[in-house]
Amino acid sequence: MRALTAAPVADSPLARRNPTVKLALLTAISLVVVLVLDPVTPAVLYLLALTAVAASARVPARTLLVAHVPFVAFALGVLVVNALARPGTVLWQAGLLRVTEEGLAVGGALAARTLLIGVLAIGFLLTTDGVALMTSLHQNARLGARVTYAILAGYRMLQEMPREWATIRHARTVRADPRHGRPPRGPRHLAGAVFTLLVVSVRKGERMAQALESRGLGLEPRTTWRPVRVTRGDWALAAGVLAVVACVLAAGAALGILEGPSALGG
Amino acid sequence: MTTTDRTTDRTTDRTATTTRPRWAMKDLVLMVVLGVVFGFAYWALVQAWNGLAILMGPAGDIAQHVLFGGWLLVAPLAIAIVRRPFAGVIAEVIASVVEVVFLGSPVGPLLFVAAAIQGAGSEIPFALTRYRRFGWGVFALSGLLGAGLVFFWSAFRFGWYGQDIFVLRLVIQCLSGIVLGGLLGKVIVNALARTGVVDNFAIGRADRP
Repeated sequence: MRALTAAPVADSPLARRNPTVKLALLTAISLVVVLVLDPVTPAVLYLLALTAVAASARVPARTLLVAHVPFVAFALGVLVVNALARPGTVLWQAGLLRVTEEGLAVGGALAARTLLIGVLAIGFLLTTDGVALMTSLHQNARLGARVTYAILAGYRMLQEMPREWATIRHARTVRADPRHGRPPRGPRHLAGAVFTLLVVSVRKGERMAQALESRGLGLEPRTTWRPVRVTRGDWALAAGVLAVVACVLAAGAALGILEGPSALGG
Repeated sequence: MTTTDRTTDRTTDRTATTTRPRWAMKDLVLMVVLGVVFGFAYWALVQAWNGLAILMGPAGDIAQHVLFGGWLLVAPLAIAIVRRPFAGVIAEVIASVVEVVFLGSPVGPLLFVAAAIQGAGSEIPFALTRYRRFGWGVFALSGLLGAGLVFFWSAFRFGWYGQDIFVLRLVIQCLSGIVLGGLLGKVIVNALARTGVVDNFAIGRADRP
């Protein structure tokens, strides 16, 4: 997980590629693998993706490992739940708990898919600057200028939010009953603080909108200062990635291990 | 306070169903702000939640449905304040963009799809009243549909079909949607309206004679 104030993206082969192309590839692969429900195919894709990300993003191995934690936990949970909660051929039984073959297969498929999408998402996030992505979406994907800059303004707000949050907490601590000797905690207090944050942010947002409009945002025609281009390298990246995915899927189909959504047997 | 935006100078026409030419910048930024604040709150929550989920193991998989409604809040808030068609869908998608691009959710772009479905589900009841009625019932129905529609997409994504606990999941998630994604939204909207920060939006104009 990146901190809210993201570190500047280090230069690497993947970081030099067009953000919109990277996002489109990530989306395409995510949508394709949703339809794959055997454990082997996504596992192979995951190993390939891990190798590719490690090679082309030039992030330290430790960063990559730490970033794996949340979705590895999720993948394990999915695997266990599916192994225990699917009817089928019983492999192992102890009291109320039983592990089935079908459960293990589907659970393994979903766990491998989680890992695959997770590692690709990490590769994307570690090599893409948020502002560069929005600029690229505006120029290469025809996202409207007002929406783009509204989101960018929101991003600035997000970066300042931890400080805003600390201010609110301090203010509430000052007003708290001094006899308790510690800052107030508990769900009610937290909910109040979040609500305060919401009110402050809505007010700030209205001012931001007026500032943006008074500077002429949304007027046509717009000129661009630094054009973001889709280069030959970006097309090569897209073609390469899609070719690898297609090859793996074709090989899986040829070997008869590829399974579709019918594996769920819903 | 007058803005120079020509989309906001409506005096007699109170129906939000007339398609006005453009979104006011104010409304766009408000939806981003909702996405950012809730994105931040969820991010803080998820940090705590991850540790808890690891401790709970498989039980965490069921517990996610209990809290699910909280993820729906952005849409009813945006609709109730802005009162324009598609406000809910756009607000949800923007919130998911904030979550993926700026907060680094490892779910990836599939979250955009889920967000659009959630937003659509939350918006249907308000659209049926032509964005005119904002009572408790409409909010509850909005939470129910928001949770119910996206359930079938999630079920497909996480392979819940064919599990023994499929119906249990659906019931828990719908209840959570009604309470956390519907009724709680109404509570927050009322509280926001009382503070006066949203007076310059459609919700404030509607309450003034």
